[in-house]
Amino acid sequence: MTHHSALRRLAGQEFFGPLLALLIITLIVTVTTPSFLDPQNFRNIALQVSILSIVAIGSTIVIITGGIDLSPGSMIAFLTMCLAVFIKNQGLDLAPAIALTLLIGCALGIVNGVLVAYVGIPAFIVTLAGLSAFKGLALTLNGGTPAFSLSEQLGQVFYGTFLGLPLPFFYVVGGYLLFTIIMEHTRLGREIYAVGGNESAARLSGINVARVRLIAFSFAGACAAFGAVLLSARLNSGSPNYGANIELQAIAAAVVGGASLAGGRGRVMSTLIGSLIIVVVQNGLNLNAVTTSMQSLTIGLIILIAVGLDVWRARIGRGLARLIGTNTRRQGA
Amino acid sequence: MATPLWELVNICKAFPGVRANDGISIRLNAGEIHALLGENGCGKSTLIKILSGVHSPDTGEIRLNGRPITLGSPIDARSKGVATVFQEFSLAPTLTVAENIFLGRYPRRGPLVDWAKMRSEAARVLTSLEIAIDPARLVGSLSVAEQQLVEIAKAISVDATLLILDEPTTALGEHEIAVLHRLLRRMKNRGVAVLYISHRLDEVVELVDTATILKEGRVASTADATRLDIPSIVTAMIGASVEEHYPKVRNATDEVLIAVSNLRSARGARGASFSVRKGEVFGLGGVIGSGRTEIARALFGADPASGDIRIEGRPVRIRNPRDAIAAGLALVPENRKFDGLFFNFHGGPNITSAALGAIRRLFLLDKRGERRITSDFIQDLEISPAAAHKCVNLLSGGNQQKIVIARWLFAGSRVLILDEPTQGIDIGAKIAVYRLVNELTARGCAVILISSDHSELIAMSDRIGIVRNGAVVETLPASQVTHAHLVQASASADGAATAA
Repeated sequence: MTHHSALRRLAGQEFFGPLLALLIITLIVTVTTPSFLDPQNFRNIALQVSILSIVAIGSTIVIITGGIDLSPGSMIAFLTMCLAVFIKNQGLDLAPAIALTLLIGCALGIVNGVLVAYVGIPAFIVTLAGLSAFKGLALTLNGGTPAFSLSEQLGQVFYGTFLGLPLPFFYVVGGYLLFTIIMEHTRLGREIYAVGGNESAARLSGINVARVRLIAFSFAGACAAFGAVLLSARLNSGSPNYGANIELQAIAAAVVGGASLAGGRGRVMSTLIGSLIIVVVQNGLNLNAVTTSMQSLTIGLIILIAVGLDVWRARIGRGLARLIGTNTRRQGA
Repeated sequence: MATPLWELVNICKAFPGVRANDGISIRLNAGEIHALLGENGCGKSTLIKILSGVHSPDTGEIRLNGRPITLGSPIDARSKGVATVFQEFSLAPTLTVAENIFLGRYPRRGPLVDWAKMRSEAARVLTSLEIAIDPARLVGSLSVAEQQLVEIAKAISVDATLLILDEPTTALGEHEIAVLHRLLRRMKNRGVAVLYISHRLDEVVELVDTATILKEGRVASTADATRLDIPSIVTAMIGASVEEHYPKVRNATDEVLIAVSNLRSARGARGASFSVRKGEVFGLGGVIGSGRTEIARALFGADPASGDIRIEGRPVRIRNPRDAIAAGLALVPENRKFDGLFFNFHGGPNITSAALGAIRRLFLLDKRGERRITSDFIQDLEISPAAAHKCVNLLSGGNQQKIVIARWLFAGSRVLILDEPTQGIDIGAKIAVYRLVNELTARGCAVILISSDHSELIAMSDRIGIVRNGAVVETLPASQVTHAHLVQASASADGAATAA
């Protein structure tokens, strides 16, 4: 019966469901769309998933604390404009301009965090306000118009290669490794899961709940800022229209990856799988010339199916156990 | 033998991995209060759920007046005369008492709700139960005890021939329990069959007419065979005789470990002063609402508080639970589900949550070390081995409580505040908790014990402080405190403010 127990252990892993879904979806797209396997298309997918997956790290961490972050999209719009203004209008060098943009992203995350954790306004409201306010801020820069052709070298940040591999590959691997280590292997990570699991018990365990929430939002700000820099580099421009709706895709990636909006459950790594699912589906629809409206609809359906499966997982699991034939024995006998 | 009103015949129900009910037969007669007893996991809950239409039995029969019937759903069961008060509250906090009582069956006039009728009917139900609660109040504004009474009123307001109560008294004080008992006796005189589940055996013995005891999914002692005295019930429940229900070991020394004076909080500590010695169990006695829990929370920094706290003579400042933990204090909260446990964690991380610094190596958590140390705790405290690899919501109440206590053992706490530590856990687990208390005091820890179970409080404490209106009004050696004393303390609670 060893193959059964091995199968069950694999099936019990939290990332198993999302991974299986990703494989099935990839298979379907491969069969239906010959151009999907084109190396150039693979490159496109990889580049596309890099920005979303990095932003989604922050969304996942906030979700694990039991919060939600609706602001990354507008934050990205504002930050691409910041970067553009720093380079074009202020004449800053690339490195300090990028560093400053990242810092501003962290600061905006901290503003969100302070309002949620110390002022006590619900995360949904704070970040909904941010969704609107950061967009407004973006429109105050450069007369509210996009800025193009920022810098010759900026593109290298996104299109550059190292050891023959595109740089975004290293950003994604580095980001996911770093945050997996933080979440799974540090005291802070454990405290983040504890706060999301039971805030009251966390407080009575001596965990500084407000500080944990604040840090989670500052991580989200940093991730959004990094996404903004990559987006600017990819398009060599800044625009108040960049980043629109990416917050919803990032939340979708986290949820499809298995994070629970109730908090306390979810894995950073699974969000990478969730991001891939969303990007592969979009790519498949693009290649088949499906309209954007249908694409939106499809992503919506994927979110529903993913969460629905999660809700039903317990029942499906029980059914599987019965199929595999767990022996019924009396408790304690 | 006459046909019983309700009868369960040879009920079997299996879940994957466990046969919860294995051929259980019970006869529930009209006008009889019948206790259903047994340790956690003995199959009580499953049986209640079968009778309330939540589960259907795999095999076996439910009979009403001798005729087999099926209870397809909770609504079906209710319409056939089964009223159930579950352990978990099913009230809507944002609705009024009247709306809750008639939830799902509002009286109507045409298409509209007949509010006047609903209010008067609710008032009638409450009055008949001697419950002095305004039906127009919001349920969320009621105390836990009052909510429990509304829950019972809700169940009884339906014409029922079988009333099932699952642990109805855990949240109630002496007075409310007396009201409930009177009420149940009246239901019994009206010819209702009552099925009563409780871990408080003192109360059961006083109230019920007959008792069925379950063990591992089977009937261990039938109603005819059960003798209604605590020692024989306990013997039947755990299958062995218990020599000492309260294995109290006296370890109190003369050295004061913690001295608290004039502890005040907005939530309800009003100038509490007391001291606890090394190795001593200091009981806090008093009714629900007297401020015992509030004193505990204020001391632990869970509520903003003021007052002078000294540990071994040195003043300590406690502004939040972090300060309290650093000073060596620990709180096992009254409600382990809402304030104690992380249901998203296995047993191990639940044990280490209050002292994560102890398993940190440089910047990382030593997870292997954590597994090793916590599995030692799980073994030593005889917690179910499943705790090591399962989320704690899957464990029994007793195991959960031991995990919360293990957390503070791991943190090396020296002053442990145990707020209702044995509430809702079975006898075996209770005795295990008492042994843990002994072990703590043997190590020189001070224990502050809050319990509404008077026998437990008197037996396990060395000294008892009587609490009224958020202050300790009298401190006595536990041996001089009687049940009557504690009840009287509650009865005269009104005059306490001036007396204090």
